[in-house]
Amino acid sequence: MTQPLLELHNLNKSYGTFAAVKDIDLSVDAGEFLAIMGPSGCGKTTTLRMMAGLEEPTRGDIRLEGQQINDLPVWQRETPLVWQNLALFPYMTVRENVEFGLRMKKVPAPERQRRCAEWLDRLGIAGFADRNVAKLSGGQRQRVALARSLVLQPKVLLLDEPLSALDAHMSIRMQGELKRLQRELGITFVYVTHSHSEAFSLADRVVIMNAGRIEQLGTPQDIFLRPRSRFVAQFVGGISLFSGMLKTTKEGKIGIDSADGLLQIADPASAQSGTRCDLAVRADRINVTTQPGWGTNEVPCTLMSEEFAGAVVNLHLETAAGTGIVAQLQQRDLERLSARAGQQVYASWHPEDGVLLGAPALKAVA
Amino acid sequence: MSVLSAKLGLRRRGWFALWAAPLPVWFALFFLGPMLLLIAMSFWSVQNYRLTPDFSLSAWTYVLSLDFLWSTFWRSYGLSLLSAVLVSLLAFPASYAMAFLISPARRLTFLGLALAPFFTSYLVRIYSLQVFLGEGGVLPQLFHSVGLSGASLLNSYTALFLGHATLTLPVVLVLQTLALGNVDRTEMSAAVNLGARPLQVLRHIILPAARPGLTLGVLFAFLLSYAEFVSATYLGGGVFQTLPILLTDLIRGGQQWPRAAVVSLLMMAVLLLTSLVTVAWAYRQKGN
Repeated sequence: MTQPLLELHNLNKSYGTFAAVKDIDLSVDAGEFLAIMGPSGCGKTTTLRMMAGLEEPTRGDIRLEGQQINDLPVWQRETPLVWQNLALFPYMTVRENVEFGLRMKKVPAPERQRRCAEWLDRLGIAGFADRNVAKLSGGQRQRVALARSLVLQPKVLLLDEPLSALDAHMSIRMQGELKRLQRELGITFVYVTHSHSEAFSLADRVVIMNAGRIEQLGTPQDIFLRPRSRFVAQFVGGISLFSGMLKTTKEGKIGIDSADGLLQIADPASAQSGTRCDLAVRADRINVTTQPGWGTNEVPCTLMSEEFAGAVVNLHLETAAGTGIVAQLQQRDLERLSARAGQQVYASWHPEDGVLLGAPALKAVA
Repeated sequence: MSVLSAKLGLRRRGWFALWAAPLPVWFALFFLGPMLLLIAMSFWSVQNYRLTPDFSLSAWTYVLSLDFLWSTFWRSYGLSLLSAVLVSLLAFPASYAMAFLISPARRLTFLGLALAPFFTSYLVRIYSLQVFLGEGGVLPQLFHSVGLSGASLLNSYTALFLGHATLTLPVVLVLQTLALGNVDRTEMSAAVNLGARPLQVLRHIILPAARPGLTLGVLFAFLLSYAEFVSATYLGGGVFQTLPILLTDLIRGGQQWPRAAVVSLLMMAVLLLTSLVTVAWAYRQKGN
């Protein structure tokens, strides 16, 4: 078992009586792309700032390659951060910005110039080397911020919502470049974001934080297919939730007894009968029909609204008990369905598509 | 339609012009007017102790040929520049502490205290300094009691500097604190994150970012000290003849208004040039 590159042990940060980060345990491997995601105020940025040494943990340990770095002065750490607002130095040229860290660490001039030139070139900003950074475009500024950190050849690069200042088009282009850069360099990226698409498309593993704690840690597929809590399911989105008692019927069927009737599941794993459970069903697994009699779990509902998202359409349904259901359909399936808002429809899904929240990963869903 | 909007535009502009009017009027009446008079007067002549409108270069040739004018001029310039730099250095640690080390609420209290001397007359402050530093004053007595010379401290550069500092320290403190307070904290953190030690942050981030404000502090201290008359007279005594003293001597000595006007114009030209060069330096930008 190789040693993790970066480890957080029982990390806590409080401001007065407010606990911003609570008991975080996390280890990040060398070369891994880890995304930390969560709503604003969930503690993701505070965690990142503690890794960089910009915030002092109230309690707990931060280790880099097995060595505790809590008490190391910030300027001696090698955990450069790409800032949300980039924090470029406005009274310096592009070159001076990129050379800054090397200059501070007193790297001899020939090596400094060589490394600076290499990174200016690598990120395609060599042509602007003597420009004032205030006169660059958003994408160019982004590259300067990356070059300024990467020129230090860190083992881990911390990124705090680095693409949030860019327009959608530019953001997607930079995502591709970031991913390629990370693969080529083989260094660890810890990437804080509130955007699902960034986290899911870039990261090897995703941490979902809520109210200072880690709600779930896993691969993007893991989190998407098997959300562990209501919070994760709601945060990831596109998931319908039902709650009720776990129950085994006389016929031997297993399911949860919800306000919308008995909803069958394939395999309850370790969950016990009689416990209260949440059931999650992903929008793309839900079938919508105008006539009953199509599936095992069938719930009559009213079609509330349609939401177009390119090739697919999200249908928002509501059951008689008031439960909201989201179903994702292909455009052509919607045309075949020909239902209108306010009309009665039936939502159904296979038992194996229902995921019990909080339960360990189901064997059936591979 | 367009006629209507043009009319409205005109009325609106008239309305703003009305509110903006007092300043240009004031400026024309009490600055531009006297200024033009000053220029005109430098070409007048004095006959039998009477000022006579004229076009004569005699005041200019007389003043420009005075050797002691130039030595006084440069002494004045050097002393006030020295005072400005010393006051700025003296104020900097306090400004730094106010901008970075104490809470915003405390900062207001300290700034208020720093400005409190302005509530008394400057003349009163200089007179009390004279008593404080003079023969048998508090400071000489204190020096005497620890075995040093108990002689008067007046008529020295130290006394003159204390006078200058009394006038300029609060202004410099406020300008510096505001300048340092506006330095982007994220940029400072970013510098530390990239390996800069505290002193490197000061040199590479704080000083360049606060440069306009810090430079303006030096400039204001210089301008105020340069034109300063009261402490030059009462604290510096006759030992340090500065330009303002020369100016009053010229006027007292026989209605030499044209000569005084020439000296004033020279002073203004030098101050204007110094200010322009300083401000241009303070706001220069790097890169293209």
